[in-house]
Amino acid sequence: MSHDDDILDLAERVVRFAKKLGADEVACSVSEGSHVTIQRRGGKVEQATEASTRGLTVAVLCDDRFSSNSTSDLRPEALESFLERAVASTRYLEAEAARRQPDAALCGRGVSEAQLDQLDPVWERRTASDRASYAEALEDALRELHRDDVVSSAVYAADGHGRSIRVMSNGFSGEDEGAWFAAGGEMTLVEGDRRPESSAYFAARYLSDLPSIPEIAGEVDRRTRERLGAGPIASGTYTMLLPGRAAGRILGMLAGPLSGGSLQQHRSCLEGKLGERIGSERFTLIDDPTIPRGLGSRPWDGDAMRSRVRTIIEEGVLREYDIGVYHARKLGVEPTSGGRSNWVLPTGTRGFAEIAADLPQAIEVTGFLGGNSNGATGDFSLGIRGVLWEGGQPTRSLAEMNVSGNVLQIFHQLVETGDDPWTFASVRAPTLVFEGVQFSGT
Amino acid sequence: MVHTLTAREWFTQFGISDELIRAVLAEATRHGADDADLYFEHSISTAVGLSDRTVNRAHTSIDLGMGVRVVVGDQVGYAYTEDLRLASLKRAAATASEIARHAGLAAPVRTTGPRLPDHYPVARHWEDVDLAERVPLVRAWEERAFSRDARVQKVQVSLSDTDKHVLIARADGVVVADYRPMTSAYLGVTAIDGEKREAGGYNVAARHDLSYYDEARQGRLVDLAVDRALQSLVAESPPAGEMPVVMAAGSSGILLHEAIGHGMEADFNRKAISIYSDRMDKRIAPDEVTIVDDGTLPNARGSINCDDEASQTERTVLVDRGHLRSYLHDRISARHYGVSPTGSGRRESFRHPVLPRMRSTYMENGPHDPEEIIASVKRGLYCETFANGAVQIGAGDFAFYVKHGYLIEDGKLTRPVKDVNLIGNGPKVLEAIEMVGNDLTIDEGGWTCGKDGQSVPVSQGMPTVKVASLSVGGGAR
Repeated sequence: MSHDDDILDLAERVVRFAKKLGADEVACSVSEGSHVTIQRRGGKVEQATEASTRGLTVAVLCDDRFSSNSTSDLRPEALESFLERAVASTRYLEAEAARRQPDAALCGRGVSEAQLDQLDPVWERRTASDRASYAEALEDALRELHRDDVVSSAVYAADGHGRSIRVMSNGFSGEDEGAWFAAGGEMTLVEGDRRPESSAYFAARYLSDLPSIPEIAGEVDRRTRERLGAGPIASGTYTMLLPGRAAGRILGMLAGPLSGGSLQQHRSCLEGKLGERIGSERFTLIDDPTIPRGLGSRPWDGDAMRSRVRTIIEEGVLREYDIGVYHARKLGVEPTSGGRSNWVLPTGTRGFAEIAADLPQAIEVTGFLGGNSNGATGDFSLGIRGVLWEGGQPTRSLAEMNVSGNVLQIFHQLVETGDDPWTFASVRAPTLVFEGVQFSGT
Repeated sequence: MVHTLTAREWFTQFGISDELIRAVLAEATRHGADDADLYFEHSISTAVGLSDRTVNRAHTSIDLGMGVRVVVGDQVGYAYTEDLRLASLKRAAATASEIARHAGLAAPVRTTGPRLPDHYPVARHWEDVDLAERVPLVRAWEERAFSRDARVQKVQVSLSDTDKHVLIARADGVVVADYRPMTSAYLGVTAIDGEKREAGGYNVAARHDLSYYDEARQGRLVDLAVDRALQSLVAESPPAGEMPVVMAAGSSGILLHEAIGHGMEADFNRKAISIYSDRMDKRIAPDEVTIVDDGTLPNARGSINCDDEASQTERTVLVDRGHLRSYLHDRISARHYGVSPTGSGRRESFRHPVLPRMRSTYMENGPHDPEEIIASVKRGLYCETFANGAVQIGAGDFAFYVKHGYLIEDGKLTRPVKDVNLIGNGPKVLEAIEMVGNDLTIDEGGWTCGKDGQSVPVSQGMPTVKVASLSVGGGAR
């Protein structure tokens, strides 16, 4: 067992060794990967980072006592003593049979490697020169957009590759592999005493799925210029226009309350609401781990159970929670899935501009600043930055404002979804339109 | 195993010798450099958890590796590896060296090891504490929580600790090693009263050993978690809009962290992207305001004996009686500004390059009694516990989430409030500080600061402070 082993061999040997030490059940994951990041500022490379990395995690169950253990010290003698200690110390804990692994029949690949399409062949051919040229071209494109008020700008280009193996003592063995690419930039302007700033970042499984270099640079410039003159407006209720790229923060407030852990600990505002309406008929939320090239796509879930497409919320009605094997046993229900993959919202028929044109007044929330939500009650309060739209035109940049509400109410206020899904994140939402949302400012 | 090795000797078990260090630094500086360093790290972390009246999980983690940084002007080449064999270390060094293509600093011919202070003395390393010693602690905390109130329906407890050793070797020959313990405990409660349910929690953290958990601290951990959950059952959302805000002593230091702390990190100023970039030595707050970032507080979560590029840590005065006096520097920004580093170069792990970061940030005492401050407010908000701070460095806009507080009506604390975001602009809020209390408290909570994808442990503190106006994100209810 060492840094030089094939990771499948390594995982299989770890499982055998832990069993030999007395563990009743063992699950071992080994991952290896590499990544390169280039950041440029002021016409030169500001920082270049490169690494190859490898690590191992092993979960053991001894007499129904559970521990999870991870290490990056893969020296043979260190790994053996690590496993000996993991198994021995687990015996100090208290028994809980719910930790047992799922039935092997439930585990496996739920979607083919070919369908997931996670490994862009371009990644393997990419050279240091390719990466340097790409980053330089991106910076050149952004600097071409500079005006006199730009005090600084930077661009960022990164890519990486990962391969992971999971071997479980219930017989499951699987391998997953993928690459990713990311690019973006940031810009700071000077405006009196303030230095308005913004950024734009994009990620994709295939390099060709990223926006073009001029598009990325243009988006950085557009979002930064949008921040000029920002300030608060009067507190009140407004229509909220939420572009897909910002929707993850609002939708993400559902993740905790949907989880088996929150439900089992009575910390979820969604407890007991299965089959009940928690949103408008416009609100459908699908967890889809099978999307080709999806950033959240996966062949199996956190318990190694086969991936499948699940409808979480259907036309406003709560259909399914995210309950993994452990919490399902404690709750006495069937497991659904141990965590989310890609979240998809069905699209509407109109784009952002067309929707905005129909609204006399609306606040477009372009980003969030701080804030939180209370998963037990659903109350939330978030800082925002954004743009005031009036008669289809942007009329004012907004800052120093908050949006407040409740998770159990806000999705009832969803009145339209756009035709423009954001595909550069695992939350693939289109523009969302909410009526009567409480904003506070002056 | 009882620890007997010094921090410097610790890495000999992984084959890290002076000769190896010189060989790897030679590879890192083969094209020359203005600066270069190696950062070796070995950490062993343990966490035990309790829920549903069972000590039902443990997690152990071992992290071992080295990061190598090569600096040319303000350009950084960085690489890291988990494999500490010479060939792998030299490969990483060669990768990082690609940033440099001109003659400069060469590898050291000999190394020196300055003596470090000890800001976190401990009698016992965590690796010498059996899991069996941790289990009764979490069990006792759970029992105390359930016994406090019948509305307590669920209790979750975790106790975490880390033994971290680091060795930093610079191309100028300086080599230092540091042992950095850390422990934290969290107790979370679900309280149910009829149809109402609320979660509450409290956590403590320090660079300390098992003796940190004395009777008083264990009592606070449990009682404050229960009190917070019960308080939330009767608390309401405050009204929305701008109003005077009184920040309670202690964790209100989040205001400093967000409103000014990040903006004083010198990398943001060197790049001219901080709102404080051109305000050095200018007045930015009233005379009563002195703000400090300190790496030397005994056993504080934010303390460090040296920073992560082997610079001496210190107490840095950021704002002295209202005037901006110093940024927080790493070696790159110190060279840029022609000043000494402030010992603020920190990183999450060997996988991350150094950045200027805060340590323990707090405001010095002012002249006012806390009661006098509250009594001065006709109608406003008293903020007691916090989460989730954030800032926009250039615009200066910042926000933090108030988990618990009270309305102030006619100079008195009246109705409990909860779950509200406050937002403001850093320079405007500092100018709007009207009163500073005489009750400075360094919060004992486990604060973690995020920047550029890196998390580092920090501390923060504040006396009671009155701000003339902040935007409160309450409801219209």
